[in-house]
Amino acid sequence: MKRLASIAAALLIASSAMAQATHYRDIKAQPLRKFSMPQPKRVVLANGMVIFLQEDHELPLINARATIRGGERNVAADKAGLVSIYTQSWRTGGTTDRTGDQLDEFLEARAARVETGGDTDSTVVTMDVLKADFDTVFPIWLDVLRNPAFREDKITLAKTQANTGISRRNDEVGSIVSREATKLGYGPDSPYARQPEYATIASITRDDLLAFHKRTVHPNNIIVALIGDFDSAQMEKRLRDTFGSWARGPQVEKPELPAYAPKPGVYAIAKDDVTQANIAMVHPGIQRNNPDYHAVQVMNEIFSGGFSGRLMQRLRSQRGLTYGVGGGIGANWDNPGLFRVQMATKSGTTHESIEALRGEVTALTNSPVTPTELALAKESILNAFIFSMDTRAKALNQQVLLEFYGFPADYFTRYPAEIQKVTAEDVQRVAKQYVHPDRLAVLVVGKEADFERPLSTLGTVTPIDITIPSPDAPKAGAAPAAGNAEGVALVNKVADFIGGKAKLEAMTSLRRSASLSTPQGEIPIEAFVQFPSSIRTEMKTPMGSMVRVVTPTAAFMVLPNGAQDMPGSMKEQSLTELKTDMFTVLRNIGNPKYTFTAGATEKVGDVDARILDINADGANARWYVELATGRVVRTVTRGAQGEMTADFSDWKTFGGINIPTKSTLSQNGQQAATVTLSNAEVNAAADANTFVKP
Amino acid sequence: MKRVLLAATLLVLTAAGLSAQDLASFEKRTHTRTLANGLTVIILERHDAPVFSYATIVNTGSAQEVPGITGLAHMFEHMAFKGSDRVGTTDWATEQKALARVEETYAAYDRARRAETNRDEAKVAELEKAWKDAIDEADKYQKGDEFSEVVDRAGGVGMNAFTASDITGYFFSMPSNQFELWAYLESERFRQPVFRQFYKERDVVMEERRMRTESSPFGRLFEQFLATAFIAHPYGFSGVGWPSDLQTFSATDAAAFAKKYYVPSNMVVAIAGDVNPTEAWPLIEKYFGRLPAAPKPEPLRTTEPKQISERTVTLRETAQPIYLEGYHRPAATHPDSATYDVISMLMSSGRTSRLYRSLVRDKKIAAAAAGFNGFPGEKYPNLFTFYGVTTPGHTPEEIAAAIAAEVERIKTEDVPAAELQSVKTRVKAGLLRQLANNSGLALQLAEAQTLYGDWRELFRSVERIDKVTAADIKRVANATFTPQNRTVGKIESVAQTTAKTTQGGAK
Repeated sequence: MKRLASIAAALLIASSAMAQATHYRDIKAQPLRKFSMPQPKRVVLANGMVIFLQEDHELPLINARATIRGGERNVAADKAGLVSIYTQSWRTGGTTDRTGDQLDEFLEARAARVETGGDTDSTVVTMDVLKADFDTVFPIWLDVLRNPAFREDKITLAKTQANTGISRRNDEVGSIVSREATKLGYGPDSPYARQPEYATIASITRDDLLAFHKRTVHPNNIIVALIGDFDSAQMEKRLRDTFGSWARGPQVEKPELPAYAPKPGVYAIAKDDVTQANIAMVHPGIQRNNPDYHAVQVMNEIFSGGFSGRLMQRLRSQRGLTYGVGGGIGANWDNPGLFRVQMATKSGTTHESIEALRGEVTALTNSPVTPTELALAKESILNAFIFSMDTRAKALNQQVLLEFYGFPADYFTRYPAEIQKVTAEDVQRVAKQYVHPDRLAVLVVGKEADFERPLSTLGTVTPIDITIPSPDAPKAGAAPAAGNAEGVALVNKVADFIGGKAKLEAMTSLRRSASLSTPQGEIPIEAFVQFPSSIRTEMKTPMGSMVRVVTPTAAFMVLPNGAQDMPGSMKEQSLTELKTDMFTVLRNIGNPKYTFTAGATEKVGDVDARILDINADGANARWYVELATGRVVRTVTRGAQGEMTADFSDWKTFGGINIPTKSTLSQNGQQAATVTLSNAEVNAAADANTFVKP
Repeated sequence: MKRVLLAATLLVLTAAGLSAQDLASFEKRTHTRTLANGLTVIILERHDAPVFSYATIVNTGSAQEVPGITGLAHMFEHMAFKGSDRVGTTDWATEQKALARVEETYAAYDRARRAETNRDEAKVAELEKAWKDAIDEADKYQKGDEFSEVVDRAGGVGMNAFTASDITGYFFSMPSNQFELWAYLESERFRQPVFRQFYKERDVVMEERRMRTESSPFGRLFEQFLATAFIAHPYGFSGVGWPSDLQTFSATDAAAFAKKYYVPSNMVVAIAGDVNPTEAWPLIEKYFGRLPAAPKPEPLRTTEPKQISERTVTLRETAQPIYLEGYHRPAATHPDSATYDVISMLMSSGRTSRLYRSLVRDKKIAAAAAGFNGFPGEKYPNLFTFYGVTTPGHTPEEIAAAIAAEVERIKTEDVPAAELQSVKTRVKAGLLRQLANNSGLALQLAEAQTLYGDWRELFRSVERIDKVTAADIKRVANATFTPQNRTVGKIESVAQTTAKTTQGGAK
């Protein structure tokens, strides 16, 4: 033992004979030489296409990338996964002139690549070619961009691949925690979180893919970026000749995504074949255009930058609890990101780690940032700034990104000055403003039997079922049961209260005028329903009038800046709303696609109400019905915004139909608005233009 | 030597579009020196932006471990971020004594707890306490994150390291005005590594094992597969370490390992970027020259004996199936290596590859299928490994049969000239595409220099691939892909039942 210790001591002693007295603190760095990366040339064609050209003569290579507006967020939820099927079969399905297999042979023999890809916001067609082969490969890239064939065999192949992904998504615990935390944070229906299912993949047709191509691939939706060994002037002429005569098409718009916040609390997923618990904590984050963005970046660096951030230092280096831990406030370019903290630890230190993480999150909001921390974070960001523009390709990619999301071209140039300005007070303030320990959804994935104690010691635990719905299982939200006789009796009682079945069946349309009272002010709203399935709503907001129209054949919006097609997800949502609308439901008593299940009795306010669960052709609603009268006191529906609750306090009869005149709307338990009905007209005639796109 | 390289590779690469001038310029911009202590340093000038990347490659990996210290090469890699006698301490003289005390108390505790008979629990608890107290005392004098902090503050990015079976690598990128700081830090961490916070970091590494290996079905399969395929060579050991070793070895063990293997003659440093050699060499001499010279470690003794019968390892998991089959092949330095590379490309590269076309496109039994070299390393004889990831409803047996059919074709039919040419063209273009990235270049130059003793092998390998013939492919395939040379590893899916037991460590 003595010997061991002396060996250890010998090994630990500095070999001072060799060492010189230098210390890193004595090394003074010269200022970095002045440098600015050449920026790409920007060209805008008359048809709206934007082109960036970046010369790079180091190697005889040319790369091209067409970025096209429109991605998974422009797809309806029941076709979730469409963009992955689309972008796989886009290239593999070939063009009208050549099969994908022929393209494979041709391109691989030249070590060239033409590929397609996509994500939530956009799709891309890329080319990577040796300069010498540019003239033969460029036409192929163009052909893929404009004339894809989406051959059925390759759609089938893409679906097989997508189904493989679905079947394997619960195999690795890391992917479970990332995916489910994202779903908790954005809401399960958000295009930034939702998952393809066997059923949604199966429903995707070749026509859907062609339609998505037709909808998105227009010059005014495309940013083309080229980099490599070419002459910009010549290349510009070539691209102008190639794209100049291409006519504009409809603009792809970013869909409005409803705000969402998870219900705070503990969520659990059981995974038995692991020795670690994976922990994630989420709540909404910020958007990139937030004026506090730069202060948030400094906060993130202090919290979790590199190996020297608080999380790595305190949870990994000092306590040995984890290999990987990280977090911070996320900022997406054109929609809010997530505040997110994630870590993995051995099962036996799960609670210890949750406490430690919560402690670090709370410390952000209530204990000061030290001057040393602030200086380290700012210097780290500023000194590493050069790496955001150290290649011509990065400079090009930045310009494409800024163009795509509508940010000024000098956005990144201004970045260091913005970071420089951030003070300790700023960091403290943004932490308080955007980090909320009490609003966190905490997800734990692991083998609970091996934890220090049950998760229930943390309070109510919401289990999350990640069982993969089998290919032939009914779609989520489909009727769980055929309903019950009591349910039918109860809904008939409601029909009687409203005015009787005969009156309801005679109703062909309903016009309602109301005022929506929100924290932002009073908004007049007019809704016109042409039964069974057309609806027009018009809101007079301070920014101008907003019209939404959904009919069996059309779905569009008219906004102050013009008319445009409604994104699929919004159309889907409107149709669901219409299906579960009280009058639609009552007109469908007896329709086999509508089932009614009476459940328990609950107090709503001081009213004894019976729960009526309705499955309306796949959409779900829950009504609370006053036992004595058949009056509906509350409805609850689930949509993209989460849970919507309406409480009705006043009713009035219009044309023999009893209609609520006063309702309070709540979203996820938070009161959002009150609606006061001023007038209603049964069987009002529609104007000729009511459902026509201007 | 240099001229031979130029003449040969020019011919090959100009076909891929690189001009003679470009290549000559590449060689002209690459400078190599071996310092007096045996350290090889390569500088590649790329002056586009004021940044540089580097990679330090140590010619030591988990293959240098023996039972009892498995995982130690990787453990040392973690410790190389903890500083030296000058970086990471608040009071070295005191910390040094405290660390010696940690080792002394650990040795006592470790011996007592591992007693095979008459283990004295009370004594173990007492010794453990003494050890933990010693750790707490030593911790008072450490600033274990100082190394990382200095790099972060100076604008360093991408700081990380890896431990492979063959080599250990360290890398990051810096603004070019920080070259001297970098030269100081990078030499300092190997001049006098101090094993502070060793036992905390051992817990971190244990977490890494739980994450990558124990809690992942693929991780579990790869570990079992290698342990089955290699019965003598250390390629069969767990790279991250067997749990028992990981929870036993000491800082003293790590120091002994470093003393033996982390010697300048066994290391290569490659730098790529905005570095001026006339200014850089004196700084490199000044700082890296501090590393004490020591003899190169003895080459490995054990060679994997010839496999004489097929082996199979099957994991029954709740996860979806996967199929692997590995065949022993010679080391990367063997003349047939280029032929193995071509076989891998033919089988796996792109949508024209044979496995993609058969298993993925036509039969639709696999979502991905490939055959690759160098598992788990390439310095020593290793495995050519085929794999297939099943699509829903398909089994490892179907994958095995479809791979066998393609292997049979490659053994019996000449590869058509156009197909072979397509592969060769892609290899050349692939090299070309790697030449414009500082960190990738630094790593590749250092790796080639380490494995072959000359960075120019990066280019020569392309030249050798260009010479591979259809006859070579048939010969090598027939010699390699035989049942008695095969190890099969697979996951078969079972429905979730009761909780599975896992390999130690959770408590």
